[in-house]
Amino acid sequence: MAKAKIKNNVPTKSRTKEDLAVVGKNWSRLDGADKVSGRSIFADDVRLPGMLFAKVVRSPYPHARIISIDTSEAEALPGVKAVITPEDAKDIWIGISQPLLPTENVTHVGHEVAAVAAMSEEIAAQAAALIKVEYERLPELLDVEKALKEDAPQLHEKAALNIGWQQEEEHGDPDAVFAECDVIREDTYITNPSHNCYAEYHVCVADFTKPGKLKMWTPTQTAHLFQQSLAAGFKLPASDVRLLTLNTGGGFTGRTSTRPHHFLAALLSRKAGKPVRLRAAGDEEFIMCRAGGKVIYKLRSGASKDGKLKVIEADLLFDTGAYIESQMIVTLLTSKYIHALYPIEASRYRGRLVHTNHLPYYFHHGGGIAQFQFALGQHVDALAREMGMDPVEFNLLNAVEEGHTTMEGAHYASCGLKECIEKTAAMAGWNDKYGKLPKFKGIGIGIGAMASGAKGLYKHDTSAAFVKVTEDGKASLFVGLPDMGQSSHTTMAIICAEVLGILPTDITVISGDTDTDPLDIGAFTQRGTFNTGNATKNAAIDARDQLAKTAANILEVDEAQLVFRDGKVYPEGQEDKAIAFAKVVYKTLHSREGRFVMGRGFYNSPLEKGTMAYSFGAQIAEVTVDPGTGVVTVDKMTASHDVGRAINPRVVEGQIDGQIFSGMSQVLYEETLMEDGQVMNPSRLDYKMPRAFEMPEVDHIIVESIDPNGPFGAKEVGEGPIVCTMQAIANAVTNAIGDQVTEMPLAPWRVIRAIKD
Amino acid sequence: MAKQLIALTVNGDPYEVAVSPHQTLLEVMRDSLNLTGTKRGCTAGSCGVCTVNGEQGEVILSCLALAVEWDGRSVTTVEGVEEGNELHPIQKSFLEHGAVQCGFCTPGLIMSAKALLDVNTSPSETDINEAMAGVICRCTGHIKVKKAIKEAASVLREREVNHGES
Amino acid sequence: MQLPQFEYIRPKSLAEGLAALAEHGDKIAIMSGGSDLLLNMKFRLEGPAYLLSLNGLSELQQLEKLDDGSLRVGAACTLTHLAEHTIIKECYPALRAAIFVVGSRHVRNMGTIGGNICLETRCWYTNQSKIWRDTREGCFKTDAEQCHVIKSAPKCHALNSTDSGPILMALDASVVLASHTGERIVPMREFYQNDGVEHTVLKPGEVLTAVVLPPAKGRSVFRKLSQREGLDFATGTFAAAVIGSNEQPESVSLVLGSVAPEPRVMPQAEKILLEGGLTDEAIDAAADVARRALLEVTNLFTPTFYKKRLIKVLVKDALLELRDQRVRG
Repeated sequence: MAKAKIKNNVPTKSRTKEDLAVVGKNWSRLDGADKVSGRSIFADDVRLPGMLFAKVVRSPYPHARIISIDTSEAEALPGVKAVITPEDAKDIWIGISQPLLPTENVTHVGHEVAAVAAMSEEIAAQAAALIKVEYERLPELLDVEKALKEDAPQLHEKAALNIGWQQEEEHGDPDAVFAECDVIREDTYITNPSHNCYAEYHVCVADFTKPGKLKMWTPTQTAHLFQQSLAAGFKLPASDVRLLTLNTGGGFTGRTSTRPHHFLAALLSRKAGKPVRLRAAGDEEFIMCRAGGKVIYKLRSGASKDGKLKVIEADLLFDTGAYIESQMIVTLLTSKYIHALYPIEASRYRGRLVHTNHLPYYFHHGGGIAQFQFALGQHVDALAREMGMDPVEFNLLNAVEEGHTTMEGAHYASCGLKECIEKTAAMAGWNDKYGKLPKFKGIGIGIGAMASGAKGLYKHDTSAAFVKVTEDGKASLFVGLPDMGQSSHTTMAIICAEVLGILPTDITVISGDTDTDPLDIGAFTQRGTFNTGNATKNAAIDARDQLAKTAANILEVDEAQLVFRDGKVYPEGQEDKAIAFAKVVYKTLHSREGRFVMGRGFYNSPLEKGTMAYSFGAQIAEVTVDPGTGVVTVDKMTASHDVGRAINPRVVEGQIDGQIFSGMSQVLYEETLMEDGQVMNPSRLDYKMPRAFEMPEVDHIIVESIDPNGPFGAKEVGEGPIVCTMQAIANAVTNAIGDQVTEMPLAPWRVIRAIKD
Repeated sequence: MAKQLIALTVNGDPYEVAVSPHQTLLEVMRDSLNLTGTKRGCTAGSCGVCTVNGEQGEVILSCLALAVEWDGRSVTTVEGVEEGNELHPIQKSFLEHGAVQCGFCTPGLIMSAKALLDVNTSPSETDINEAMAGVICRCTGHIKVKKAIKEAASVLREREVNHGES
Repeated sequence: MQLPQFEYIRPKSLAEGLAALAEHGDKIAIMSGGSDLLLNMKFRLEGPAYLLSLNGLSELQQLEKLDDGSLRVGAACTLTHLAEHTIIKECYPALRAAIFVVGSRHVRNMGTIGGNICLETRCWYTNQSKIWRDTREGCFKTDAEQCHVIKSAPKCHALNSTDSGPILMALDASVVLASHTGERIVPMREFYQNDGVEHTVLKPGEVLTAVVLPPAKGRSVFRKLSQREGLDFATGTFAAAVIGSNEQPESVSLVLGSVAPEPRVMPQAEKILLEGGLTDEAIDAAADVARRALLEVTNLFTPTFYKKRLIKVLVKDALLELRDQRVRG
């Protein structure tokens, strides 16, 4: 039998916005009332009977051999319930190369050596201080370029020259294309170490008291990947690990994998037979996860004299720290993004992850791509200027368009990049300002692209959803996608409501429990709206099909003629015959079959590698540089983003705002200052981020290039805007002072150094 | 160090609780009274997520306040802002203008905004920045937060006009 | 981070507090707002057996106009209270400006003027958790004879970041220091010492109970440079007070802050302005002197050339602003 084809809800390119009942309107986040009234529970708020508190003993040295660990005094302290040392953590690995607790050498400051669980945080801290670890210092590697030298000590047996991972890629014949170019430019850029600085500190509560069953409450972007990695670590079937997410106080690409504290809390819980909470205290927050190490970007590109960009070559050197967990993702991503914006003829890429005795490198907001774009965007801007071209003109001449397939195979089924550039330039008044501003005022553009999805990084890119329709005409939506603030659960509710013809407020989103919610690899690589959105839509359509059968019988029409809208079901064009949605649900259940309505759906990119949708954006920054102090003030940002359909425009704006803030914060302020392998500014005070005073005015332009593959044409706004921000601000600074500041952050002293008197 | 019994009023509710001198107001509210709406952040006075309002409605960093010093005094936390079963106009405004994302700093932002608007319903941009600079927020970039505060201010101004005579 | 344990003392009168100070010697710490002390205690930089709270003492929270026209400000007045007080706003606007940029409103509601004057010096090697510090050798502030900031230095070079100190010095204020044996009055210009460990002249058993501001006269200015507006320690502050006209000033007082373990008076620059008046050339020369006077630059991770340049800009801009202020009768 043919499935109901319900016209009302079929997303096609030709549909106008007015056709949609709830998609495209502004909705408040469904969990918002709880969040503004203090009812939202975060992992640090979890209180379990008998819960203990953990403290980790960490290495004070960047590199040393452990001679002995004496835990006797700590174990004798009243109130101490469990102490673990490397003996207890054998064969538990973080990623591919990091033992949970090192049996031989510590390799970075803060490296976990032992841990205790006690009746209070105070006792745990006292006990940790009583654990005596004897070390023998070893030669230290604290500079990524020195680590590559022949005479440098080698940190890992398998990593010759300390290169832990190397990726090389070549498309076309770069040398031949360079030989044809009229202009060739080379630049080197640096981005410095950073930290995500989420509002919520790293924390987890582990309950491993039942043999073979682990329960964990922790903030995460990837609950199901956490579940898998904990299960692998403890050699359990994944279903015996239950990950409970509750609320997550910000992700910013930093909560995409388990870190040692998750395993340590679980081990302590198992040993003590009690639930255990482990939370970062003070500066520990900066060593439980590092957002980024130093990266050096050597870029070379060539163009013809008519302004066509023809070839890009990039050589990237990452200080990856002591271990590699999943950092190779950053080379996979940056190698793709050489091709993302311009239809070039050839490219060459080399990315090397180099080991040092720094904390393992991880990801900052923007996932390495935004930081790479800081370099590439400035480099291309400089190239344009070298050729005497206006950067907007250059970008318009070179930017990719709909239907383009990049050299490495990404296909753009929709692409509003040129529209973004044009609209942003018009709104910002680019033509009246570029080259016409007074000294020390500057304007700059940054453009970007971002894939929706993680296919290629993972074998599958699956999101799944269930819809349970209840007798009162409402529904529960089960998804495994975490909402760490981006309002993804509300977005899913809107999509589900659109299909069922009810209101988003009629939907209860059930998520954050891997026992209950279906698989979803998580909220990263901006895949939520596209992947989980498609899964949700499919699940809702499945549920609707089940209801359509009933409604078609009652109304005596073909299922394909039915419209689900405004809480009613009716044959198209005959609203007077409408029956209430709730009544259709009731009749379906109270039928001879007693059918309970449950929809299911999933989505995975059909491609072997790569994703189906790409979002695009352009931003123009206007800045003032104080020539005395070098302080950069961002006066205004104009941002456009091609998100496909904006499911919830208010949230799209909020995401753009947040990313502009984060990009501005990274490019102008953020740096974890390192000395002797130690973070010198591990606090919310000294690790500088701007606050209310520093925020500029932001103008938003939402470009809706309705994507044929997205749910209701939606793509994403997850991480797309931030890839434009850093380069736009940097280019504006260049415009203001006449020279590039090639090192991020553009701290005032770096700006002053770059100003030619 | 002997514990001391203190009388602490939180959101109008009187509590008697035994505290050690070294316990902070934040620790006592969260761990002894189970009032977890006020969040634990940096505990060093820099992130502002633990902000509560003191007796004059002023912002207080509960991570740097000794609980013993609050004997006989009262505080308001994010759990006490609602008016009956209704959200306070500030809460409503945060919700309706997209000023809430991850929600972890939200209690600190709400209490800081309330301290401002309780005494000034026509705040300038600078007034708002000054009132909010003590609180970190990575998600929103403060933009929608400021907008929400301005909108809430106009609602509260209207309310003042309507209740002006009483 | 949690506080270490201590015995809490809340005196009913100042006399009772002073007696407690005398009794417990170096085992007692004085707390007023707590925002500085409690954080240092969480860092285990201080671990007093007793903690004396000044918060219940209304006698330390008064503003009083004295017969000679000066203003006596109780040390436990919160920074917010002072910043919003009419007398401070109208008569001492530069002091108001300095107070208003301390920390954030949150900090100013708790922090007091006495606390800000006595603010502990700070450096990135020491003002960290004990576990962090334990990764390195000690220093003058802890248990060793060395300074990490300036490696060969014979004393501690932690920065004094008080925002109120420089302007109080420029305004020629004094502080009242009380102990159970009596009171002494110390001019602010003599209150600080160029040593990060012993950064004030306060003796054990003494507490700062009040600041006395001379009658408002002349013009004054305060400037703070910081990377972030709100909740940021300064990269440099500058306070200046001038009595008399631009052409023939009767007195000039210039103080740089947040560049050394003490706010630094600049006698040479003062002399230039006093002799040359507030001309472009003199201001430029004074700013240059200030820049050169900055010998030991202690702001980490900021190159010396930049810090020196910053000081020059700071001093020059502030003096130009001062020059444009209306001359008060």
